[in-house]
Amino acid sequence: MARRQKAAAADMRGPAAALLGPASSEDEAEEAPEEVSFAAGREVADTERKRVGEAARRHRQLLKEKRRRHQELFAEQKKRKLLPEAVLQELAAAPPARRDGRGQAAAADRGKRHGGKAAKQKQGQVQRKGQGQRRVKTGKQRKGARSKGNYMAVCLKDRSLPALHQQLAKDFLNTHLYGPDANRAQANEFFSLENKKNPVKGAAVQFVDKSWGQEKKQRATRFKKRWLATRIKN
Amino acid sequence: MGEFEVHRVRFFGLVPAGVRCLACQPRGGRLALARTDGTVEIYNFAANYFQEKVIPGHEARSVEALCWAAGGRLFGAGLGGDITEYDLARLCAARALDGCGGPIWSMAANGGGTQLAIGCEDGSVRLFQVVPGGIQFERNLDRRKGRILCLSWHPSGTHIAAGSIDIIRVINVSSGQTVQRIMVNYHVQKVKRECIVWSIAFLSSGTVVTSDSFGRVQFWDWDRGTLLESHTVSTSAVLSLAVSENEDSIVVGTSTGATYQFQLLPVKMGSLEKRWVRTKPFQHHTHDVRAVAHSSTALISGGLDAQLVIRPLMEKMQKKGYDAVLRKFTFPHRRLVSCARKARLLLFQFSQHLELWRLGSTDETGKDGEVLPLCRMPEHLVQLKSKGPEHIYCSCVSPCGSWVAYSTASRFHLYRVQYEGDGVSIEKVPKVPKLLLPAYQLQFSSDSGSLFVASHQGSVHVLQLLEPGGCKHLRTFRPPSGSSEAVYLLASSADGHWLATVGGDWVIHVYDLKCFKHHCTVPTYSCAVTALAIHPVTNNLVIAYSDQQLFEFSIPEKQYTAWSRTVQNCGLHKAWLERDSPITHIAFNPKNPSHILLHDIYMFCVLDKSLPLPDNNTLLMNQSTLKQLPETARQRQLHAFKICKKFQPLLFADLLDENCLVMVERPIMDIKTQLPLPIQQKKFGT
Repeated sequence: MARRQKAAAADMRGPAAALLGPASSEDEAEEAPEEVSFAAGREVADTERKRVGEAARRHRQLLKEKRRRHQELFAEQKKRKLLPEAVLQELAAAPPARRDGRGQAAAADRGKRHGGKAAKQKQGQVQRKGQGQRRVKTGKQRKGARSKGNYMAVCLKDRSLPALHQQLAKDFLNTHLYGPDANRAQANEFFSLENKKNPVKGAAVQFVDKSWGQEKKQRATRFKKRWLATRIKN
Repeated sequence: MGEFEVHRVRFFGLVPAGVRCLACQPRGGRLALARTDGTVEIYNFAANYFQEKVIPGHEARSVEALCWAAGGRLFGAGLGGDITEYDLARLCAARALDGCGGPIWSMAANGGGTQLAIGCEDGSVRLFQVVPGGIQFERNLDRRKGRILCLSWHPSGTHIAAGSIDIIRVINVSSGQTVQRIMVNYHVQKVKRECIVWSIAFLSSGTVVTSDSFGRVQFWDWDRGTLLESHTVSTSAVLSLAVSENEDSIVVGTSTGATYQFQLLPVKMGSLEKRWVRTKPFQHHTHDVRAVAHSSTALISGGLDAQLVIRPLMEKMQKKGYDAVLRKFTFPHRRLVSCARKARLLLFQFSQHLELWRLGSTDETGKDGEVLPLCRMPEHLVQLKSKGPEHIYCSCVSPCGSWVAYSTASRFHLYRVQYEGDGVSIEKVPKVPKLLLPAYQLQFSSDSGSLFVASHQGSVHVLQLLEPGGCKHLRTFRPPSGSSEAVYLLASSADGHWLATVGGDWVIHVYDLKCFKHHCTVPTYSCAVTALAIHPVTNNLVIAYSDQQLFEFSIPEKQYTAWSRTVQNCGLHKAWLERDSPITHIAFNPKNPSHILLHDIYMFCVLDKSLPLPDNNTLLMNQSTLKQLPETARQRQLHAFKICKKFQPLLFADLLDENCLVMVERPIMDIKTQLPLPIQQKKFGT
């Protein structure tokens, strides 16, 4: 019965199993090796090769997909970074329209300034006419030229060179005195050492932090004020 | 004697700035000190280490090096890249010259004080000449890569030693070339971080002494470029170094707050060979000691814990006395708090803002030593931020509480404060007379009708305050013989008749406000005046000097009073004269004309002129013993000085009304927890 079981097990493993590795039990080792035809063997090898090939191909496909997705993502991000199409086209066409653009821009500015003041009716009419005219002109301008005169160059006080040097110097000092190598302790820890070492041990120097529960305390005082006010009224 | 209800105020959140630089005047007995917020202070050694001059800081000004040049001129340089000369008569930063090398890390004057060398961020050493109008650029010496963190002249003026990162260079001044380059990190194995040479000194024997960030003090031979001796004093950086004039003693300060003294001692008794030995360790500070100085008799150190410590050396002292005692200064020697007595308001002066507080009140009474509960808490009424980067010189609130004034280096502001019920509104007085600024001291008259403004060259301006909110310049008083120094203390009498002023030359002038003329000058005393006040009833001027002497001068009679002469004949008690801090405020009790209330940082005293003076054999601080004695025995032992040491450290004490005192304290631990972090200390068992 044991042999039949072993044979059944061997059958279940199939012809391929007979080729792979020696049989595990001693009984099976005593028997003669099984006869497998060349065709069967080749079949087994083929299927094996195909399986591995499939796996590799699938893996390659997966990587390809990933790469393709990444490429698309980058392309999209790059596109997003660029200015919108319309503006790009405008800028590309900008240089020839420069001289006309400037004159028109000045007129547009004047128009804008006049528009800002409080207008009497006559002026209002003139303005409306002027604005109408100007609208046309600005329309033209918007198509061809760069936006001119709409910016102001400002010198930022804290980005000056001496201030930058000073900041670098202060950073150097801070890194070397208070940086990662510096081995500094918190004030509470440092000053509480004495209290810990005294013959009569005391509490830490900042045992109670006054900033605990600030919001609750504030709400309580406000409530008290309101309550007292209502009591006084009554 | 009297029972007082004491308002014990601890909400003045003063945090003094740390000490960054120290410079001893070579032959003058003065010490210049610069703090991290740009404040420069001058201490006078002869006047019992009194802080005689203060130049408030500036937001953009950082001082990294201070030095005295010829003629008593003081120069400072910092990370802003400018060399500033400080005008000590006008108490301001006078002229600034751009060093053109980026941030300046160090500056040193040569032996004669005629040339200044600065070490810059770009690695160059530049020479400037000290000329009568200011300073003049002379030339650039050799420039190499690496910021120059410290500089020292050879006493002969021929060479300069400069310390940088990992490197020390010795430069020949006349040729401008680097003649020696020493690597400081050469001897340390397997080191990954760079060695920063924090300070350097050049001795006349050709030895260069350096202190670096590895906690070592090293002695080099500059000619051969070799290491003579190396001492490791600490595990954290050694930040500062100073050499005595005889070059036989060096003091160094470390990041842990410890200072060490090195002395040049013979190897064996009587042998000629001498060696540097680390002799005395001191732990006076809790935070980094970034500045040390060596005077002829004392070791001076200043730390980021805002303390200045002067340790006299016992071997230089002739006898053991009060001169040899350790002196520690944490708080300024002038008043930063003003009190409006009738309105019960306190004005706190910070470096860039003012706070106006109303004191709380209580309905209950109690016995000696009891703490009474408050029925109304103290209120923070107004916070006034000063516009601009300059720090505040002085401030004052009027006795009625409706005027507040303050001055910075270039602006003077006067405000009118109105109280409606519980609320407060404040508005600026628009047209303030144009005075020459800054104002060094402000004082309102007792009827709140005039404002006295102390100015330079001994002059005082009287401004009249007009009711709805205006101000008019009335008069300017000047001392008859002229003066070059600024007035720093003012006192006015309660009846509005007299005004007393003290200038930097320590001469007290009294002016008559009704007749608009100079009345008299108090006889000169050889010490600085620390507090001044005029008695409301008798018009006696009470003067406290920095050597703890007290004088009483009668203004109508133009001479010292009989009591004052008695005090001078008997002499003050030894324990009174041996106090560490000066008296900064004097007040009077209108109900008891013979009482004078004084305080310094560690004690509050009520002086009763009608009682006998103590002699040196009796105990000065006898309040606690007197309390235990029966009434009859007490009468025999009473003396004039009634001292209370319960409230310490005291920044301000005043009498609000007959039975009410206010004491503004500032516990030192509250300051220390708000300072930059200290170095960790590992103690066994914690």
